[in-house]
Amino acid sequence: MNDEPLPWRAGLTVADVLREREFVFPLLVVSIDGVHVPRDAFAATAVPDGAVVVVMHLMSGG
Amino acid sequence: MARIHLKNLDAVGRKHQKLLAGYKGLLLVCTGTGCVSAGGFVIRDSLQAMLKKRRLDKKWLVVQTGCNGFCAMGPILVVQPEGIFYEKLNEKSLEKVVEEHLVGGKPVKASMHKDLATGNPIPKMAQIPFFAKQQLVALRNKGIVDPENIESAIAMGAYAGLRKALTTMKPGDVLGEVVRSGIRGRGGAGFVTGVKWGACIKAVGPSLEHPERRPPVLVCNADEGDPGAFMDRSIIETDPHAVLEGMCLGAYAIGASEGFIYIRKEYPLAIERLEKAIAQARERGLLGRKILGSDFAFDIKVHRGAGAFVCGESTALMASMEGRVGEPRAKYVHNVESGYMGRPTVLNNVETWANVPVIVEKGGAWFGSIGTGDVAKSPWNGSSGTKVFSLVGNIANTGLVEVPMGIRLKEIIFDIGGGIPGGREFKAVQTGGPSGGCLPQSMLDLPVDFDSLTKAGSMMGSGGMIVMDDRTCMVDVAKYFIDFLKDESCGKCTPCREGLIAVSEILGAITRGQATEALLGELEGLCDTMAVSSLCQLGATAPNPVLSTLKYFRDEYVAHIRNHKCPAGVCKSLIRYEITPNCNGCHVCSRNCPTNCIAGEKKTLHVIDANACIKCGICRDVCKFDAVRVG
Amino acid sequence: MGSATTTELAPSGVEGTIPVTVDGQALEVKPGTTVLEAARMLKISIPTLCHHPAVEAYGACRMCMTEIEVRGKKRMVTACNFPIREPTAIFTESEATKKQRRGVLSMMLARWPKVPVIQSLAGRYGVQNPGYQHPLRNEAPDACILCGLCVKACSEMVWEDVIAFAGRGAKRHVTMPFGKQSERCTGCGTCAYICPTGAIKVTDEKNNPVDPARIRKYGFRLTKEMATLDDSQCKMRRVGTAHLVEIMDAYDLLPTHNYKFGKHARIAEIASPVWTSLVRQNVPDGCWVGCQMSCAKAVDDFVPRTGPYQGKKVLVDGPEYETVASCGSNIGVFDPHDIIELNFYCDTYGIDTISFGTACAFAMECYEAGVLDKRKTGGLDLKFGNGPAALELLHHMSRGEGFGVIVGQGIRQMKRIFAERFGGDPRFLQDIGMEAKGLEYSEYVTKESLAQQAGYAMAQKGPQHDEAWLIFMDMVNKQLPTFEKKAEALYYFPMWRTWFGLMGLCKLPWNDVEPEDNATRPEPNKVPGHVEGYENFVSGMMGGEYTIQDILKMSERVYNFQRVFSIRMGHGRREDDRGPYRAMGPVTAEEYESRAERYDGQLKELLKVDPAGRSTAEKMALLRRYREEQYEGVLDAVYKRRGWTRNGTPTPETLKGLGIDYPWVVEVVKARMAEEGSA
Repeated sequence: MNDEPLPWRAGLTVADVLREREFVFPLLVVSIDGVHVPRDAFAATAVPDGAVVVVMHLMSGG
Repeated sequence: MARIHLKNLDAVGRKHQKLLAGYKGLLLVCTGTGCVSAGGFVIRDSLQAMLKKRRLDKKWLVVQTGCNGFCAMGPILVVQPEGIFYEKLNEKSLEKVVEEHLVGGKPVKASMHKDLATGNPIPKMAQIPFFAKQQLVALRNKGIVDPENIESAIAMGAYAGLRKALTTMKPGDVLGEVVRSGIRGRGGAGFVTGVKWGACIKAVGPSLEHPERRPPVLVCNADEGDPGAFMDRSIIETDPHAVLEGMCLGAYAIGASEGFIYIRKEYPLAIERLEKAIAQARERGLLGRKILGSDFAFDIKVHRGAGAFVCGESTALMASMEGRVGEPRAKYVHNVESGYMGRPTVLNNVETWANVPVIVEKGGAWFGSIGTGDVAKSPWNGSSGTKVFSLVGNIANTGLVEVPMGIRLKEIIFDIGGGIPGGREFKAVQTGGPSGGCLPQSMLDLPVDFDSLTKAGSMMGSGGMIVMDDRTCMVDVAKYFIDFLKDESCGKCTPCREGLIAVSEILGAITRGQATEALLGELEGLCDTMAVSSLCQLGATAPNPVLSTLKYFRDEYVAHIRNHKCPAGVCKSLIRYEITPNCNGCHVCSRNCPTNCIAGEKKTLHVIDANACIKCGICRDVCKFDAVRVG
Repeated sequence: MGSATTTELAPSGVEGTIPVTVDGQALEVKPGTTVLEAARMLKISIPTLCHHPAVEAYGACRMCMTEIEVRGKKRMVTACNFPIREPTAIFTESEATKKQRRGVLSMMLARWPKVPVIQSLAGRYGVQNPGYQHPLRNEAPDACILCGLCVKACSEMVWEDVIAFAGRGAKRHVTMPFGKQSERCTGCGTCAYICPTGAIKVTDEKNNPVDPARIRKYGFRLTKEMATLDDSQCKMRRVGTAHLVEIMDAYDLLPTHNYKFGKHARIAEIASPVWTSLVRQNVPDGCWVGCQMSCAKAVDDFVPRTGPYQGKKVLVDGPEYETVASCGSNIGVFDPHDIIELNFYCDTYGIDTISFGTACAFAMECYEAGVLDKRKTGGLDLKFGNGPAALELLHHMSRGEGFGVIVGQGIRQMKRIFAERFGGDPRFLQDIGMEAKGLEYSEYVTKESLAQQAGYAMAQKGPQHDEAWLIFMDMVNKQLPTFEKKAEALYYFPMWRTWFGLMGLCKLPWNDVEPEDNATRPEPNKVPGHVEGYENFVSGMMGGEYTIQDILKMSERVYNFQRVFSIRMGHGRREDDRGPYRAMGPVTAEEYESRAERYDGQLKELLKVDPAGRSTAEKMALLRRYREEQYEGVLDAVYKRRGWTRNGTPTPETLKGLGIDYPWVVEVVKARMAEEGSA
């Protein structure tokens, strides 16, 4: 994930990854192997083993 | 004052009864708004002064009561224990009652009620036909308790139902009795109260949708706004503790700790008595924490409404309570799920709440046995209990009556109401408030219950009943109610706002003789759109006055349109006043004519100048010889 | 592909969905989906007048009356707000449906016969003018049809409630309080934009935009995003920038104790729920009239414990994220009352909360490090976390008394004074004194983001993040792995952000709310949907067609002018673009050891050095050398991208390319280049 190794386990979802990494910022763009994952599907989307996960944080603030 | 506990509630009542028993008798002065406007407070104060002057104030106790019900006869005094009924009192006749009856022991015939047929005085209240056919449940304490004295109410059994619930019943048992009673909402729609409460309990949760329990709210709708209706006001002015106790029982059943009474500011006396009753109930531990010493807690706040008719609609009422504009919203999500502040909310009207204590005390089955149908099978299968009506219009005995459901219209109008005064003929009765319907002579055998009235094209509504005689034009009546609703429509949705404007316009054209028959079709089309597409029940029922008069009095519409005639002689554009040879030239009409358009020498036939006549009808009203004709 | 295919594709049987048919076509919807939404999913049109997706369904016009069947019972409902909760058949064109829509249209046509939206719907349903004369007949084509969209938009989208309905029934009309033009109306134009008939007119007498409709269209898009998306994104309207406090803490970016660390155990005491509970009115308090974002917040009925307003009730504008960090965590203060009071007195005295907080944090670290003591501070016990002492210092600054006079001059002067007068170690003071170009740093820890170190220190005005905020892109997303990528970001964002300053616009509406489809656009970090909005704004304002390239060019000219001005004033050198080491890495052993795992890992991975057995001082020195080299690499790359010399001087060629190669400008850069050549 984001160029860093991410330990995988069966049933791991995008929401799990975000929670465990403390990615609490609201403006996130997530893709798995280049396919965009919509925000309301984070909890329902499983991360396959060996996938390339990109969690892009947008910016906010002045 | 000490707080009352479950154990000493009876003792408080007994103590008050003992206090009353120390007097030779009670003098029950009606101080409902009707009698007050006729001088009820003056009678109360004068009576006290007269007793004091004669040193009789330790012998006779003056009790100010709420509405006695027989409003046409106010001011009213009932002398207990005999139950002698005095009516239309003034200071002079009162003095006579004190002198001759209280001092002399001889009841005064002149101030008694007279039989309509024979003119004979009827001494006792119970013998008066107006009272004889009534059955009092909601109004059980009318004319007996002092609404400003909680002990007086307790002495008559107030809060016994609550004690019963808190000592022997679980919340579910209270709900069970209410369901069994089959009581349907007295505010208008007639929804089954027990079903509503049950749905609210379900919505409170916790549930899948709402994992946290959501605290429910109870609301008492006292925003009575129908022209000619005063049931709810009278109940509060008469027996406010019946409403408070009913709400306490509802709160116990539903698990609420917060309740509101939404009452219009135009009811100052009711508000005053309600606030006194709440203050006394709090002080005596019947509201607030640890009610009657139990763990049950519930309190009630009074919310004054500004008097918009639409605020009687439940969602508009809640919007108003929330501080927003009183406009209805869609009820696709019900108030029991999301009402006041999005909380599960049970809203019942004053009369419904006032019935609850009796249902709990005497049992739902007892209540269900009164009225029509068999509500034991299904609460929708009939109309149980009694209903309070305010009987007004062209009727001899104007007043407040409570009758069992299923009673025939004619029994209310003729037996209790004493029929049409002035030798006129009955023409129609309007039930259900402004958006109810007008029922003709042929429907007088109709049983008065939710379903029969709806089937006949009218509705129960909250219980207004306006009687009309043969001098009433039904097109004019329809226009009166439509114009009322046009002014009271909030204007939010198109069908109600535009429909009422258009219907009023068309009815206006008919009453001016400027309409074509094609417009009647247009009128029915507008009514259909209003009935089906309006946002709330105000708009959806607004066509009733038009549709019911079209149904039962279509010939009157046709007469206006085709013949340019108003058969009842009301619509000014279509009538002219004439003086017939019955005239003996007494000058009464010409003296009273506001435009001085009646000419004629004394003792000769008078003539009306049709060009100057404004068709006010005063000449006809003042003529003692029936010599003024409308054509 | 027929409808059968659609049915097959529908995720039938998905848990928690409800089967629905619309005119016979089947689909599955989530509970609570409205009839209108279900029909629109199948591209089936249901007419509406009072409905707009950006505001709550009002159900007033009744145009969308539709027949439905639930459990075998047919009924008429308004499609816009009827929530589907059980299997439902929807009939959008049944006779019953059409009859009611015709009835409603006939009523509207009677009153507003010339309004185009009504005429076109009447045409669709074959409705003729009725036979009666409506007493309020209004033949204006732009008549108000009382749909309420403007009222809803002003309330729900703009949060102003400036316009409302007045009058009941036939007297119902849209108005402002007491029928007068309201002072509170910000002239945002949302009501005019959402009005279906054009009954509300916007007059713009001051700015004379070339194409106001074009501007309004994009303005409305932003308003709609704020109304519908903000609550699930940054909560700018409800919380404001303070929502960042706990987020920055979670990413180790919230400065605590003079930027030593990026998070603190007591974060909950200053997290956003604390502030929202104090901001009680929470009405739109836009710092700029017409702003839909309205992130400014105010604490009312605040009673200061100190100073000239002690014991009096005051209203405090704020606190914002920067203030919570500068006057809170960065000086170790976690008492919201102290933070608000510092906020209040900074505002009252005209002192910037960031500069005060950062300067105070520096003084506190010097105090704890022994550079200062009570004697030198005039009795102030300037330990981290001593809120009352910070307040006292602030009052001293305002009155020009004692130690306050020194702190009031800022960190650059403090460094000199503490070294000269109090014997502080100038190198230590330089390392921990968080200023560059004489300005105090704003409130982000940049140690792990090389790009942002440059974003801060290279900013023309000094280390303020308004030129670039690249920490997430660089540190978390790893989008800027090379010097060239960092340089590109340090070209694009400073130019883009400078443009807001040129226009007098606030940047927050650009990136504190994002369009619904932003995630699926290329380069979502740039918020392309909003960039398009600004292109349209400037084009609509000035005429012509301006693209992002034109916008960046505008900025680049000004940006280079700024650099030339700095050079002319004797600044604008490479050394002016370097920040203190505290912004780049651990200055103290305490800092290194608190994140030893991270730093040791970097030594191993990046420097190929085994940290085992080495002292902290040794490891710190290695890391520092590496990071400082890296920083120089970024400087080189950025200068190259911007067309500047290795000393940060715009070349005459660059000036020429931008069309600003005026002789008196070229003269300045040539003189500096000559100086560089001789150096």
